[in-house]
Amino acid sequence: MSSANSTTSEQDAILRSGIDRSLRHPVMFFLTSGAAWLAVSIVLGIVASWKVHSPELLSGCAWLTYGRVFPAHINALIYGWGFQAAFAIIIWMMARLSRKECKAVGTILAAGHIWNLGVALGIVGIFAGFSTGIPWMEFPIFAWPVLLVSYISIIIWSFIQFRVRPEGHVYISQWYFLAAMIWFPWIYITANTLLLCIPGHPLMGVAINTWYKSAILFLFFTPVALGAAYYLAPKVTGSSVYSYSLAKLGFWSLAIIAPWAGMQKLVGVPIPYFLPYVGAAATVLLFVPAITASINILKTATSSRDVLKGSPSLQFMTAGIVGLVIMACAAVFLNLPNSTLPLSQFSMSGYGFQILALYGFFSLVMFGSIYFIVPRVTRREWLSRRLIKMHFFFSIYGIMTVALIAIFGGIQQGAAQEAFEQPWQNAATSAFPYAVATTIAWCFILFSNVFFFLQLTLMWLRLGRRSSHPTLLTSSHDSSSSPHGDDGDIDNAGPAFQATH
Amino acid sequence: MSFRIFILGLSATFGVAWLTVVVVPYITMKNLKPIELNEAVDGAKGIFYPKRTGRIANGARVYAENGCYLCHTQVIRPTYAGNDLYRDDWAGLKADPDRGDTRRETNAYDFFGEKFAQVGVSRLGPDLSNLGRRVESIYAAGKDPANWLFSHLYNPRNEPKRYQSTCPSFRFLFVERTIKGNQSSDALPFSVDQNVEIVPNADAKALVSYLLSLKKDQAIPAVLNFAPPKNKG
Repeated sequence: MSSANSTTSEQDAILRSGIDRSLRHPVMFFLTSGAAWLAVSIVLGIVASWKVHSPELLSGCAWLTYGRVFPAHINALIYGWGFQAAFAIIIWMMARLSRKECKAVGTILAAGHIWNLGVALGIVGIFAGFSTGIPWMEFPIFAWPVLLVSYISIIIWSFIQFRVRPEGHVYISQWYFLAAMIWFPWIYITANTLLLCIPGHPLMGVAINTWYKSAILFLFFTPVALGAAYYLAPKVTGSSVYSYSLAKLGFWSLAIIAPWAGMQKLVGVPIPYFLPYVGAAATVLLFVPAITASINILKTATSSRDVLKGSPSLQFMTAGIVGLVIMACAAVFLNLPNSTLPLSQFSMSGYGFQILALYGFFSLVMFGSIYFIVPRVTRREWLSRRLIKMHFFFSIYGIMTVALIAIFGGIQQGAAQEAFEQPWQNAATSAFPYAVATTIAWCFILFSNVFFFLQLTLMWLRLGRRSSHPTLLTSSHDSSSSPHGDDGDIDNAGPAFQATH
Repeated sequence: MSFRIFILGLSATFGVAWLTVVVVPYITMKNLKPIELNEAVDGAKGIFYPKRTGRIANGARVYAENGCYLCHTQVIRPTYAGNDLYRDDWAGLKADPDRGDTRRETNAYDFFGEKFAQVGVSRLGPDLSNLGRRVESIYAAGKDPANWLFSHLYNPRNEPKRYQSTCPSFRFLFVERTIKGNQSSDALPFSVDQNVEIVPNADAKALVSYLLSLKKDQAIPAVLNFAPPKNKG
């Protein structure tokens, strides 16, 4: 997709390094501040999860009560880390794919600071007791217009770049990014207006809120991650995408199915009867777009085993796509009406599923993209493959634990909830070991990300390796037997060393 | 595929679902049809309007700000969707001394006075649809229900049989002060010192008033009553 027909590869490399240079500051700003929010969110996640099994921990202080720490944790994860990682990936990949330098760095950086300010004030607002009490929208009411305006000021430039790009083929990643860019404000404005500005029936508010949560996952985070994966897989392996028809099927089935999902969490709640069933059907059917895209990306990524073994980007991305497959299976397993849905409806599987989606799928793909992008924009290489490996394996252990909890713990807890002849305490007790396991999982995830934070900070300070050899997982940095030959396979090596793709 | 068709496709796929599951139900539910009582079966004339007393708006705010909805639900699902109705004291009372079996499922008229129905996201704690009824008739039978709830919020593990409760303590909603003259009637039955009393602050009082208003078991008109007729058992 990046091979140029009309220009020579040298001009092409100059163009790409120009794009990278123009976006260095915004991309690094979003990634570092996003990573900082990820750190905040993980620490809050540990505290919140700890409180579930040890309620007396830090219980004297209003700011640190479970009901405030948990919303702060999930909102920091979504708006602090998730969105900012998505911004970095969207603006960089859209610029690369549209072959246009970024002309609005100042605006994007300013809007990025406002976004961070909005998130920070929102989190402080939650801690201080000004939460709206609406899941995933707990930020006090001032926050949403601020976030919306900064979102538009950040994203609009990628849209303009796409419109003024040189004519040519539109790549799959661009479909996904454009779709996410358009759907998110639509969802966000709908939910906030109908819930905070002109509230209707209190129960319809709940319905729109559950729809909002599902839509953010499946219509923003999912397309961004899939777009990034479709960019990385062929780019790193150097082979073309496995099947164009599968890509099309995956994209349009997501667009058709995902907007209906979400309200299955409200089976039995007195809202129009069809809504929860449509939601359940759509969530189960999401298996189709998830599996189609996964097969396509995995086929592309595994086309060269040696590259997959060596490339940290590809490994993280592949793990993320495997996370998507697990998530798709969990979506089917947890949402069957009259069977598993009553069990999963009010159990911890809901949270587990969200973390599986946000971390086990989205974040892992984002990490893969970060390991690919940061060396290009900073013109430095990652310092240590050991740190990358630690980040990878502990993330996998942590998220595997969460996934197991989501599927088995949640169902067991739900079964205990449904056992109406037993005292309620039985249901609470059955959740206990899984709460402990969640805490341990978050500790693993924190431990893994310490290595990531450390290395990202060094890269941000431009203390990475000055080398034209990418940091690969299979061979040490100085080995002369690099699978990429003598000249390295990275753009920042400069035009003279440019490889062919 | 041109850009215009692409955008049109995105808007159409999303927009149809958006209209069907969000906008149209929002409008329908906003203008919920009033229910006219039928004198023959309901024993009253006029429009059904569920009564609810207490500081609902203030209390719901405290409930939301402190994240109660994260562990407690407020919905009794019909039997096709779950077993909530079968529990003895969740959906009403199995044996109300005056009214018999008052258990019923939640209906769309149960949330009057609230801006957002706190249906909740998980059940780490029990459902609260009828907490007010439960406290008055069972937990604090013969005692002051508000005072029982104050003690419970101060320390959910206060009663020996609740030693396993994982509910957080809300000590920050209470103040300790020196007793001057008579003790406050809201004061907790325990304290740190003979001269000190622990009393709820304004937020705690609003929250308890709200929690006591949770009695979603009042008699409903026949058209809303989905319970099987008793004589056909």
